[in-house]
Order: sequence, then structure tokens, then C-alpha cells
Amino acid sequence: MNNTVKLIVVVLLFACTSCVQKTYKKTVVFTLDVSEIKNVKKVGIRGNDKPLSWDYDTEMKEIKKDTLYQVTITGETGFKFTEVKFVVNDTFELQNEDNRRVIFSKKDTTFFKAKFNKR
Amino acid sequence: MKLLTKITKPILLPHWSQDLFLIIPRIVCGYLLAFNFGAAKFGMPWSPADNNLGFFEVAFWFPNDVAEYGGIFALAPAFFAWMGAFAEAVGGLLLLFGFQTRIASFLVMATMLVAMFMQQYKEGLWMMLPAMGFLWASMITLILGSGRFGIDYLLTKNK
Repeated sequence: MNNTVKLIVVVLLFACTSCVQKTYKKTVVFTLDVSEIKNVKKVGIRGNDKPLSWDYDTEMKEIKKDTLYQVTITGETGFKFTEVKFVVNDTFELQNEDNRRVIFSKKDTTFFKAKFNKR
Repeated sequence: MKLLTKITKPILLPHWSQDLFLIIPRIVCGYLLAFNFGAAKFGMPWSPADNNLGFFEVAFWFPNDVAEYGGIFALAPAFFAWMGAFAEAVGGLLLLFGFQTRIASFLVMATMLVAMFMQQYKEGLWMMLPAMGFLWASMITLILGSGRFGIDYLLTKNK
């Protein structure tokens, strides 16, 4: 390989590396109202972006008995939004419907409030 | 220059209706790659605004996925991710218009082979089908070029 080709390869590698979308740390405080559900034993959230996953629940903590659950999620993302669904007693909300779309606040922390299975 | 003309000049089928028939997979695949699969991970003017992608920028998550393939991909994940996303978004656009069809087909083919064997293989045959579809379409255009219905034909018809 002659020097010109080597230089082109290095420049291309460098150029492509710098063409990766920048990421930002985003925090979302999710608060879920489950007051219309009886016998709530377990509340969780699933979603698109790490540390959330569609394969397992991230547990939400009870902050008001039988009414409100909350979790704070922090992750690195380049997008302006993420998508989630809530899970109560291992049952997904909004089945056969679109996911909830959470638009990030321009500040570091976004507060997202929802009622289970209601838009 | 002769080499570029050779690469650009399409093979014409005996009847124009055969060329017309074969633009269907080229246009469908080109459109889907450029405006859907590619645009979601590579910054194009029509990429979804919420994806927050700058022009010709590869989505932040894609190099991480590519690094997980291991081997040479783990050595330069940003480069391979950028090339793969470029092949889908820009290669798809070139296929759609039949411009430098063989170069675009080669890029799409290489990307789909990587997608099939490094990404989807472990998910099973069913998950490999979308990449396979693009692969079959690009194999045809790699040999035939754009046919009569593409920019390549207009550029080379008198050569």
C-alpha cells in the first residue's frame, strides 16, 4: 500500500469517526397513576433506550399508597425522544396501540406523568 | 474513464418491457433503503426530525451495535457503521434513480451480507429475510446495472 492510499484510509477513518451523532445524558422522572387498578403488586416500565429494555421490567417504587409509582431513569441518547410502556402485575398497558412517546425537555431532566392504560 | 463507463453502462434486456419489469425491485428497495431504513440511522434531509441527526451523521447507537459483531468490526466500529448507514441511505437513493447502479448495488450487497450474517443470523432465518430481500435485488442490479430506465442508461447510451 503506498503512502497516499494509507493517508486516504486514515483520513476516511478519522472523518467517519467524527461523523457519529453526539449523545447527551438525559434524565426522565416517570410517575404513574395506578389508582384505577385493584390489587397492584408490581409496577414496572419498559422502553426503547438503555437502561430500559422491552425484554424486562425496570421496577417503579410506590410513592403514594396504591396510587402513585415513580422511577428516575438516566441514559445517554442522541435522540430528542424515547418510547415507553408501563407494566402492572406483568400486564402491558395500551396493548396493540403505539408506545408512549416521551419528548425530552431541553433541560437535563424531563418529568413525565401518566395514568396506566390511558392516553 | 473507460472503466467508469464500463461500470456505468447497463446491460439491456431484449425487450424494453423486461427492463420495465425489473425496475420494480430496484425502485422498491431503493426507496425503502433511502427513505426508511437508511434515513433512520443516517442523516439525510428527510430523516425524522426527532432522530436529531446532522447531515451525513450516523446514529449514535449504530457503532455500538457494529462493535458487538466483533473481529474487524470491533476495531473500527464508527467507520463500518458509517459505511453501512451510507450504503443504505445514499446507496438506496442511487438505486432508486439508477445512477451508478453497480457501485450502489455493491455497497448495498456488502451491507446486507454483514446484516444477515453478523446481526440477524443468531435471531433465526425469519429475521434474515428483510436483508435477504435487499441482497437478491442488489445482485440483479449489480450484473445488469440500471437497465433502460435509469440515469446510467441516459449517460452511456451513446458510448
